[in-house]
Amino acid sequence: MLQIFQGNRETPRLGTLRQLSLFATLSPLELRVVDGLLQERRYLKGEIIFDEGEEGQAVYLVIAGRVLICRQGEPEAGRITELDSGVVFGELALLDDSPRAAQARAAEDCVLAALSRGDFESLLDTHAVIGSKISLQLARQLGRQLRERSSAAERRPL
Amino acid sequence: MVCTTVLLVLLRQALWLVVPFLLAIILYYALFPPVRRLTLAGVERETAAAIVAGIFLVAALALMVPTLSWLAGQAVTGEEALLRYIEGGQALIDRTLTALETRFGFLKRLELHAEVGGKIAEFSGTYAQKQLAGTLLGAAAWLPAMLLAPFLAFFFLRDGRRFLKFMGDAVPNAYFERTLYMIDRVDATARAYFQGLLKLTLIDTVCLALGLAVIGVPNALGLGLMAAVLAWVPFIGSIIGCVIVVLVAATEFPADPWVVYAAVALFLFVRLLDDFVFMPLTVGRSLHMHPLPTVLLIFIGGTVAGVPGLILALPLAGVVMVVAGTVGGIVNEPRLRARHLFARTLRERRITADLRL
Repeated sequence: MLQIFQGNRETPRLGTLRQLSLFATLSPLELRVVDGLLQERRYLKGEIIFDEGEEGQAVYLVIAGRVLICRQGEPEAGRITELDSGVVFGELALLDDSPRAAQARAAEDCVLAALSRGDFESLLDTHAVIGSKISLQLARQLGRQLRERSSAAERRPL
Repeated sequence: MVCTTVLLVLLRQALWLVVPFLLAIILYYALFPPVRRLTLAGVERETAAAIVAGIFLVAALALMVPTLSWLAGQAVTGEEALLRYIEGGQALIDRTLTALETRFGFLKRLELHAEVGGKIAEFSGTYAQKQLAGTLLGAAAWLPAMLLAPFLAFFFLRDGRRFLKFMGDAVPNAYFERTLYMIDRVDATARAYFQGLLKLTLIDTVCLALGLAVIGVPNALGLGLMAAVLAWVPFIGSIIGCVIVVLVAATEFPADPWVVYAAVALFLFVRLLDDFVFMPLTVGRSLHMHPLPTVLLIFIGGTVAGVPGLILALPLAGVVMVVAGTVGGIVNEPRLRARHLFARTLRERRITADLRL
């Protein structure tokens, strides 16, 4: 019955969101619910997205462009990784309430979609299915990052 | 506290709008959970708001039609009933004063009964004949403004999220996360307060209705609901609710003063339960304020903006505390200002890249 009232408006962002690993397991309906919660932000090359040590209030998805994750104030020497479109970042601060672990800067002009802490927590509280799917994907992403870091550390000469 | 007082003074200037706005906010937080449920079930926000507001309107109309026809039936005898309740109250005071004079001789020498009785008769006669019509007409003049409340609530439900997004979009990137935090906190504070208020009203209604039914007072549910809604106005609301129930009890049971005493005892008991059990569990958790400024703010609110000021003082103070704390945090954070200046410089350079001489 609810299907009657569901609109068919497909926002251009939905297509991009569909490609993101975080939302890979969401149904089109669930994806539209998440899309309604996202806020789009545009950053110029070099602009700071957040600082290391800052209290995190949002998780970001790279819609277009690239984002540099680095040590605070050291974009060259302290470079940790560079994220392409389709990747999620800033999720750690939201998951364990810790300060931001590194600085995020726009490596080139980029478009990000931000999901606020309030909306993220409300989603986990009120929509168990979407919440569990996103949480599982986040856990997989964190596991993947952990494995990559460990293998990188093993390869490093003593 | 100063900010809250200034806001309350400003609100007084637009009281005709503040009251429906306040009711709309309460209605918004009452209807918000089902709208969110529908939204998360995949229904579009606009449709969800229309469905919930429509169901509410139909339910309200379904409730109002029999109520209005009942009131119309009562209207013929309305004045008589009012006078009967006033006389019932007067008789109760007469009986109480006579009993006091019999027990304490010095009260008789002071002619307390004659003095107080005369004043009350003068007040009730003057009030019923001169003031009541004016008061009722004044209340009727508020009706169009009150009809605004459901419309405002509907638009809050439908476009509230869009407005918050608009606010977020208007903020520079450097302050974006802090603004998100502020919006979340303001919304959480107001939601916790008004939803707590609604829960408290429900609990009060059930307690008072059960208590009044046990005592044997007629229309226990209606009286309980009226007293619980009146309690939205701190301090005086509870007293007015208690006085109304006492008048009804004194009129319906003129020969049995114990029903009146039991009604007063019930009100005191529910008040104590409210203050020490229900309120900390519902409204109290939302604001985290010390009791002293809380009481002071309520008095200031009442002084500067009347009844709406009494109701609005606390939620307004909660919101002001959050906004002031966050804005203060942003202003006192040189790193955020520096980041904003840096971003602005980047934009200016980009815009003027082909304009350099």
